[in-house]
Amino acid sequence: MIDVPAEEGRLSILLGEAIKLPAFARRDMIVAWSYRFAFFSDAFSLVLQAFLFYFVGLLVDDSKLPEYGGSQVSYMEFVAVGIALAAFVQIGLGRISAAMRQEQMIGTLEAILLTPTSPATIQLGSVVYDLIYVPLRTAIYLVAIAIGFGLHFNLDGLLPALIVLVAFVPFVWGLGLISAAGTITFRGGSAGVGFAVAIMTLASGAYFPLELLPGWLSALAVLNPMAIAIEGMREPLLGTASWSQTVDAVLVLVPLAIVSLLAGVFAFRQALRRERRLGTLGLY
Amino acid sequence: MALIGSEEQLKDTGDVAASARDDRVEVREVSRTFGAVVALDRVSLLVRAGEIHGLLGPNGAGKTTLLRVLTGLVDADSGHVRVAGCDPAQSGRALRSRVGTVPSGDRSLYLRVSGLENLVFFARLQGLRRRAATRRAYEVLEAVGLQDAARTSVGVYSHGMQKRLSVARALLVDPVVLLVDEATHDLDPEAAATVRGLVQDLAARGTAVIWTTQRVDEIRGFADAVTLLAQGQVRFSGSVPELMAHALPRRYLLRLLDARGNGAAPDPVLAAALAGLGSIERTSEDATHFVMSLEDDAVLGDALAAVHAAGFQLLSCRDERSEVEEAFLALTREEGS
Repeated sequence: MIDVPAEEGRLSILLGEAIKLPAFARRDMIVAWSYRFAFFSDAFSLVLQAFLFYFVGLLVDDSKLPEYGGSQVSYMEFVAVGIALAAFVQIGLGRISAAMRQEQMIGTLEAILLTPTSPATIQLGSVVYDLIYVPLRTAIYLVAIAIGFGLHFNLDGLLPALIVLVAFVPFVWGLGLISAAGTITFRGGSAGVGFAVAIMTLASGAYFPLELLPGWLSALAVLNPMAIAIEGMREPLLGTASWSQTVDAVLVLVPLAIVSLLAGVFAFRQALRRERRLGTLGLY
Repeated sequence: MALIGSEEQLKDTGDVAASARDDRVEVREVSRTFGAVVALDRVSLLVRAGEIHGLLGPNGAGKTTLLRVLTGLVDADSGHVRVAGCDPAQSGRALRSRVGTVPSGDRSLYLRVSGLENLVFFARLQGLRRRAATRRAYEVLEAVGLQDAARTSVGVYSHGMQKRLSVARALLVDPVVLLVDEATHDLDPEAAATVRGLVQDLAARGTAVIWTTQRVDEIRGFADAVTLLAQGQVRFSGSVPELMAHALPRRYLLRLLDARGNGAAPDPVLAAALAGLGSIERTSEDATHFVMSLEDDAVLGDALAAVHAAGFQLLSCRDERSEVEEAFLALTREEGS
């Protein structure tokens, strides 16, 4: 909860909090760059992953894949969008959850909480670097494999796809906040995050068409926000840039994102309050 | 160098009200339990501006819990707390722009980030914009003598340097209240003296300081007042000389030789010489070292004269433990309040 001194307006507090976010981003950029080997091995693993799916794609009959804009797509084109979004969910959700745990473990969480910074800023600040880096990484990945493997993406579809992604981000962030709350409360949670990501990815159509799932699971999967986001990005990137399809996807994703975000913010605040009440914030 | 915050800094922190300073720390009847464990039991203390208040106690006495209550990281179950005019449980934001904290251990800094960047980060969380934060970081780095290591990763700092950086971070806000938790427990004497010097400078400028420690000798000549906690209760509150008055019984380490210059005579001869004044026993070190305990009303000079009169050469005499340490042990051994 942000305390509001009488002489300070809510707007000035919000602005004051917002200018702190670049400090978090800079800190995490310095830390990430200090682990150069991990940075470059991540890039290398992306290249390997692309080759893996390229060879798997040679086994797949493209005619079994859905058509986009009336055109048949290759498996590599189909899966590229799925890989990109799945990686986004995996890294995003994992980092949001892990960021708080990491601060708690290295002992800096208390030091940050001893500054006049709101818990929401601390939470957002802890992942702001990832919110910039991961989409950038995703975009670079898509461009690189498009060039490297001769894939055909509809450039006019980039903007609609980006809008769908932006509508999807708060949903992931909300889940991440819930996960972070669990991490603070139960001193664990990475296993839970991994399980949630696995379930969501399985039923997302990221790696294979949803029609291949059993009927009941296929019916449920179309309600999966990740599936909606993936299809909402595939349509403009692989087919035609139809704004009506983009709007349809966004209209479904936005309410889900709001619910997820509100639930996440509530859970995170409750977790911090509980720790303060119990006096166990510094324990890990 | 100006360690006192400028107008610009007050504006940057959005806390102009900080200029209307209430610099005291007031704790009244504060209690806190963790399950069945009573961490604080009706603890009271008062720290005035410019005062260094030693919070003394053994492990588990409740010192860190009290500091966490004062910073709002832990809620008190009952009692009244005011820090720099703020209730930590209600006015965390206002409080945290006026209070500096030096936590125990090294686990509060980013080890892969330079000292300068650590400070700039925390200064920006205090509301300073980047340029002002960098300027302030350089100021406090110079104040703690780390300007030459500004761009070195904190991970390669020594313990003493990390602690000084921690102090520098507390100075970022030009604190009206400084809370220091076991700042010197893992430092060599020189580094510990440096940190104490920094804190003394700050107190001289009017900052109210709470300094927790279990190194009892540290507070002599350093703290203006002392509160001794044991098992969550205040066992003593007063000045250091008043604390030393609790140092009973008095024990001294003597080095004696007999009249022929050999190891001293058997204990019964010495015990007889000290009859009515105290008792004496040989230590296990060698034949010349003894521990002499004096009765409450005995005078040290009389006891030493009695030993000399009995035919012994007194080679040395010193406190076995300091009076502060004696008081600490005596008070923490007491059952109940």
